[in-house]
Amino acid sequence: MNFILGSLLLTVLFAPLLAAACLAILRPAKAGTARTIAVWTSAFHVLLTVALFVLYSGHVNQDNSLSLGFQPKVVPGDPGSMSDSDVITYKTNWTLLSLSPDGVSAPTVQFFVGLDGLNLLLIGLTSLMFFFAVLVSWGTITERAAPFYAWLFVLQSCVNGAFASFDIILFYVFFELTLIPSFFLIGQWGTGGARRDAAKKFVLYTLLGSLLTLIGIIGIVLTNPIPVHPTTNKPFYFEPTPRAMTTVENEGNTYVNGKTGPITFSIPILMKNVSMWDSMEYYSVGHAENRLARATPAGRATAESELATAQQNLAQRRSMQFWIFLALMAGFAVKIPIVPFHTWLPSAYGEAPIAVTMIFSAILAKLGTFGIIRIVIPLLPEMCVLYGLPLFGTLGAIGIVYAAFCAYAQRDLKMLAAYSSVSHLGFLVIGLFSLSREGLSGAALHMVNHGLTAGALFALLAFLSRRYRTLDATQYSGMWAKYPRFSFYFLIIALASVGLPGLCNFVSEMLMLAGLFDPRNVVIFGRGLAIVAAVGVFLASWYTFTMIRRVLFGPVVEPPALNDGAAITGDVHAREVIPLMAMSALCIGIGLFPQPLLDVLQTDTRRLAGIVDRARYRLDPQAIPIPEPAPERPVRRGPVENALREEAPFQPGGVPNVVIPPQPKNPLPSNPK
Amino acid sequence: MNPLKDQLTIDALTSLFELVLPEIALVGAACLSLLACVVSSRPFLHYLITILAIVGAGVLAFLEDTTGNAYIRETAFRAPILATPAAAFARWLILGVGFLIVLISRRETGKQLSSEYLSCLLVALAGTSLVTRANDLVMLYLALEMISIPTYVLLYLPSRNQQGQESAIKYFLLSILSSAILLFGLSYLYGLTGTTNLTAISATLVAGQEGGHSPLATLAVVFAIAGIGFRITAVPFHYYAPDVYQGGPTAVIAQLAILPKIAGFFALANLLGIIQRPYSDLPFPVATQIPLMLWVLAAATMTFGNTLALLQDNLKRMLAYSGIAHSGYMLLGLVTATAFTTGQAPRYANGWDAILYYLVAYSLMSLAVFAVLIYLNSEDESTESVDDLAGLHRTHPVSAAVLLIALLSMIGMPLTAGFAGKLGLFIGLYDAPTSNGMGQSYKTLTVFAAINAAIGAVVYLRVLGAIFLRSPLRPESSQTRGNRLPLLAAILCSVGTIVLGFYPQLVWHRGQKASTHPADRMVNTQVPAPR
Repeated sequence: MNFILGSLLLTVLFAPLLAAACLAILRPAKAGTARTIAVWTSAFHVLLTVALFVLYSGHVNQDNSLSLGFQPKVVPGDPGSMSDSDVITYKTNWTLLSLSPDGVSAPTVQFFVGLDGLNLLLIGLTSLMFFFAVLVSWGTITERAAPFYAWLFVLQSCVNGAFASFDIILFYVFFELTLIPSFFLIGQWGTGGARRDAAKKFVLYTLLGSLLTLIGIIGIVLTNPIPVHPTTNKPFYFEPTPRAMTTVENEGNTYVNGKTGPITFSIPILMKNVSMWDSMEYYSVGHAENRLARATPAGRATAESELATAQQNLAQRRSMQFWIFLALMAGFAVKIPIVPFHTWLPSAYGEAPIAVTMIFSAILAKLGTFGIIRIVIPLLPEMCVLYGLPLFGTLGAIGIVYAAFCAYAQRDLKMLAAYSSVSHLGFLVIGLFSLSREGLSGAALHMVNHGLTAGALFALLAFLSRRYRTLDATQYSGMWAKYPRFSFYFLIIALASVGLPGLCNFVSEMLMLAGLFDPRNVVIFGRGLAIVAAVGVFLASWYTFTMIRRVLFGPVVEPPALNDGAAITGDVHAREVIPLMAMSALCIGIGLFPQPLLDVLQTDTRRLAGIVDRARYRLDPQAIPIPEPAPERPVRRGPVENALREEAPFQPGGVPNVVIPPQPKNPLPSNPK
Repeated sequence: MNPLKDQLTIDALTSLFELVLPEIALVGAACLSLLACVVSSRPFLHYLITILAIVGAGVLAFLEDTTGNAYIRETAFRAPILATPAAAFARWLILGVGFLIVLISRRETGKQLSSEYLSCLLVALAGTSLVTRANDLVMLYLALEMISIPTYVLLYLPSRNQQGQESAIKYFLLSILSSAILLFGLSYLYGLTGTTNLTAISATLVAGQEGGHSPLATLAVVFAIAGIGFRITAVPFHYYAPDVYQGGPTAVIAQLAILPKIAGFFALANLLGIIQRPYSDLPFPVATQIPLMLWVLAAATMTFGNTLALLQDNLKRMLAYSGIAHSGYMLLGLVTATAFTTGQAPRYANGWDAILYYLVAYSLMSLAVFAVLIYLNSEDESTESVDDLAGLHRTHPVSAAVLLIALLSMIGMPLTAGFAGKLGLFIGLYDAPTSNGMGQSYKTLTVFAAINAAIGAVVYLRVLGAIFLRSPLRPESSQTRGNRLPLLAAILCSVGTIVLGFYPQLVWHRGQKASTHPADRMVNTQVPAPR
């Protein structure tokens, strides 16, 4: 079963590439042929993705283990699924680059892709939005349609690959590769005169950011090698806890940190390494302090120097992590974009054809936020707690207000939609850095919701653009009278985008606001930013309702009709109704029944929140007690899940999960993982 | 004991020739081609001789690789030629580059020049390969001259205009100056250590470190770096490159952009002890300030190359500056390799392996660009400036695709060879130890390199923008562009670039095996303490 799922995942990842290759080789001369191929292949891709969803949810049980690493469920190349035993190892054997001459313990860059709660929904959203983008582009791409759709499908594969990657270098590879198709899509098929400069500007800004991200990734990988046992040289994953350290000290023993082993590029293993090294450095300081307190006058000098070393190591680690945090965020902040790194956006969104703009705001912007939730939060939890809200939360808040005012000032509806997207993404960034379970769930859900509403908004604008070739808001008025069905969809999407209760954005925005009120956040940032975010909701309704009033109501005014024969007249066509109806239905559906989606997300958001809770505890043990985890519901488990060794929950002050035995009388057992 | 009758030395010297059979074959073929010129000047004959010579050298190299490993013999170090694994790696690269250059040079040799042109090329190839295996100062210098002297001829031969002659004379004079500087430095090394054998020199310098470092040795190596810096176009020894590139014949420039760089990096690595000694025990550790100088050299070379390339309109000038920038990236590898002191060993990438990989990647991508330029240049239509490439994807889709791959590789985009090269360089540099006096400056340099890569991207994107986003400035010419061999070479190079992008392991693994010293492996099995 796992093998089938894995193959299906690979198909979903690379089918668009195949379609692109077909288009590039066949090169249909007529735009219509290329379009037909594109529509059918992308529709087929949606079916594949639905099949993947159904099989995945039917096969994989709810995972209630408290493991603090992501566990991708479907991994092509999983050695377990290749044999008959069907034991999931959450690993792969497909090596791309090995960084050491002696192969055994060599750090390897692997083709490690999989599905988990965080990326499942986004992969589905991607498949859906690219199908809609093909439909939206129907009449607008007349020149060289085949390469246009080919590049669009290449972009789809790159985005899907980035979402599915669990190897940090592989993620970067896909993340960076999205630039090449984007460059061509904006530069060759852009609608404005400045499209060449827009394409170059977009690529260069993003490239500079993502090169810094590469340095950050290298930093993360090199500072978090696999910890190995001091004597046996086997991987060593017994995390020190307060109680365990106390026990060790009461027995008069010394706790010895693990040694640095080989580095790894696998994100799940890196997560475990990060929490190991963070805890080991942190608890060494406390341990050294206690030893100093108990030291005999003779041993005092040694104990003092030990304490100094431990403190220095901790300070060094944290200062290095701070710079790595900034480097990592550089690429993601440009990609999202967070104000003030958004300066590429007006030109790129303005010049790109509207179907591409739709993809950019619905999908590509999510790559940045996804990078934060997949890499920055789990791999730098302490820095996210310390600097996430103060630095990037503040920037996000500034972005909400700034972009809202910009949106209000726009006369071009496309730019209005672009700035409204930036404003909502600011909200999303704040939600991510609230770092609580609710906030993270809300943010992860908001990625999907924002993709739907922003994408739908651009699809609506494509409707107007195809009839009048202009999106100047001053030339439109009273469209309700002329296009009642269009206006109906417009209203639903606009209200969903604003966050009306019962529609999708409300759910995720409320969850993010709830996350910001988490008492463990610094009040000024938690509640202060929550207030700004709430004001942002108000501002969103302000500019959105202004736009609705201007465009939909009032006396009928329309731009001069086109006489070139290519333009379409009349209300929503059959082709146009598919994306609009589907996205409106999803907005209502998610708004009314968000729980299934939140269920998909909950395992991984809980893991993330658990990691952050530990980081919060290490940074300030006294301030706020960590709430005890709710008792788990017993769930039906397959034999596969039972076979996995669970890691014990983290309970500061509770029963220790591990007692560190004295060294070297009783060497630690080696970890089976 | 009479040194004249030392059996070990005699053995070392007599078994020397079997180590350079492929090079002897290349030079022999060059002589044959020159002699055959008297009988017939038909290009076909000379091309046949050249191709056969390169293939034959490949066969000989294969036999040497598979049969004996002379490196392990203890006496081998006494000989002026040392067959290190890195040299074996480089020989394959050099033969491959030679083959591709033969493919692209057909148009420029015309009817009369093939014999002289190709024999010069063969000698230069043999010279490059000899540099990689030289273990003696005299051998090193002679091998370097074996590259320079044919290049003078090559630059001058096809030059019919003033610009080309100016470029030839400029290269000639400055090359001689750099050789003189190099010789001056080497003479100091000889004077200090009393030997010309590089193994012995390194050993003497390392042994002499006990009582502090010798400032004279530092001075000597500074001069040597200045001399070799000319060949790898390191700033500030780069100033000849743009003029020479602009004026010279393109196929010769392709050779000039690659062979001296391979030779230069090997010569530098050999002088700094990187090829032969373990990284933890080099003759010029951080305390001698040589690594600091390399740091500055790398930073300056990258920055000057990239920023000056921004200002160029002429494609060949731009490629000259881009070549300078790529030398800067490769110098990062030398900075990494010299960063270790006693008890430390590189863990994942030692810098030298990244250089070996990057040399392959650089050869592929720059040859692809030069080959396309040659293909597009015809009698009536020159392709000199960025504007000449406008709309190329409409007029020459295949050339445009090749340029796309090559330029993306120069940017360092994933799925091209350039990405894995930069990744290896960055990982090595970031992982360089902080405990030896340079502090966090290696990490600073990594960030610096990343920013530089972004500046470089502006240059290449400008060209890509012209090729793909603009419409052609001149009407599509109906005539075919003559010989299609350059296009074949370009396609081969871009296929190689893509293959290495998907599976860098292919070359990376070999480079790493060739660059790892057994002594360092010993250090690495004892897991090092956190840095």
